[in-house]
Amino acid sequence: MAANQHPVRLRVDPVACDGIGICTHLAPTLITVDSWGFPIVAGHPLSKRDRKSADAAIAACPRRALFLDDLPN
Amino acid sequence: MSTHVPSFTEPADRPTAPAWLLPTIIRFPRAGSEGAQRTATESLFEHTEVWGAFPADAGREQLVDELVRCKLTGRGGGHFPVARKWRGVMATAGGGYAVANGAEGEPLSAKDAALLQTRPHLVLDGLQLAAIATRAEHSVIWLHAGATATRASLAKAIAERRVAGLPGPHIQLITGPDRYLTGESSAVVNALSGGPPLPTFRRKHSSESGVNGAPTLLHNVETLARIAAIARGLDPTGHVERGGIPSALFTVLTPTGRTVTEIRPDTTLGQLVNSHVAETPQAVLLGGYGGNWVPWAEFQAIPASEPAAQLQGRSTGAGIVAPLPTDGCGIAETGRILEYLADSSARQCGPCLFGLRAVADLVSALARGELGRADRKRLERYRAEIDGRGGCHHPDGAMRLLASMFTTFAVDVDLHLRRGPCRADTGPRLIPVPSA
Repeated sequence: MAANQHPVRLRVDPVACDGIGICTHLAPTLITVDSWGFPIVAGHPLSKRDRKSADAAIAACPRRALFLDDLPN
Repeated sequence: MSTHVPSFTEPADRPTAPAWLLPTIIRFPRAGSEGAQRTATESLFEHTEVWGAFPADAGREQLVDELVRCKLTGRGGGHFPVARKWRGVMATAGGGYAVANGAEGEPLSAKDAALLQTRPHLVLDGLQLAAIATRAEHSVIWLHAGATATRASLAKAIAERRVAGLPGPHIQLITGPDRYLTGESSAVVNALSGGPPLPTFRRKHSSESGVNGAPTLLHNVETLARIAAIARGLDPTGHVERGGIPSALFTVLTPTGRTVTEIRPDTTLGQLVNSHVAETPQAVLLGGYGGNWVPWAEFQAIPASEPAAQLQGRSTGAGIVAPLPTDGCGIAETGRILEYLADSSARQCGPCLFGLRAVADLVSALARGELGRADRKRLERYRAEIDGRGGCHHPDGAMRLLASMFTTFAVDVDLHLRRGPCRADTGPRLIPVPSA
């Protein structure tokens, strides 16, 4: 990640999420599913490579449930 | 217990005698009614005689400094520093909402109802002080629709204040459905904004963007009562180290009812239970359905003061104390509470909607002696998967209860897995659980 870029993480709004699951295919390194098929999102700061798959998952979510969040300092 | 009459003087003459939030011990039925047994509601005249006039001259900066000094924390159970909430809203342009949350979600809790039914003006003083300090345009008190005794007490109090012309915005009394999650803070904000009274996932904090997108300050009613006392130079925060006039407010489940009582924070929770329950319990449910089971030996020594309890890795939460007698089964009780919490889910988030039901089914099966070793592993996995994954903290509370069942009733869990149900599993249930 470029030094001047603010660190962000991927998050899910669990109320909006319907467990459709497209995200897990687009960002398998960031998103796994629980016993009921709902996404468990890794909370670490995103690398440049992570960021690409995160953006793809965010764009593909039919419920607009995924978003990027500034990391708390 | 006597009612202390505070004096109105400079901080140097701060009264040191105990000041209690409640006029007396208040008793409620074990379940099924929000109305206290035999209570008198303090009129505005009586309130002013006991506490003095509304402290209209409490400057907003001085008051927030005082809240910092008293280390007042939120009494809805979260114990978030009150001053930090105020500073968040005071940093905005104002024009928003001050909300008193009187929708006491935990069915075992009655302390908020006790305050609202005996001393509504103390709570409303706190609400109006908060509204004035944060330049709110609206003051709201939020209640369960079925809380008829509380509503009657408040309606009368609000009318008395209007006649007296007390400062602060017009106070609106607004109610939501009689459900567990109606008092969840994001559900309150959502409902007051015209949405359904269900928790929402917020990407911004309500101090910036709350009701209708306006800055919103939301407090539990006991917190507001303490603010009203602090604004008068009293310090009933429950902090021993302050040496002032501390008190801690608890709801204790007894064999005959629920007792709302105040004790000095330099006492222990063991003393609290011993003074209300004759039989020594095996364990105590501390903090309500979303709280923790604590073995009696350990519970006995927990300080009544929240900061002292936190030093021991404990929290008094919203002050709910439910002793489990020795003839009860902790697993069967936990199963019933988990069923209720699953039924109370807002059914919005997958891990809560599906997960709580799955966990409740497994624990109830464990109580009946129908689980094997592999199922225990499954329960542990579900717990780890559910914890922290809801839009609100409802599933987290349920998982806290489950985790404490495994530690507090470890021997019983093992016996149920190996030998089947205990005799207590078919006996009467000892912790009252309503139908959701």
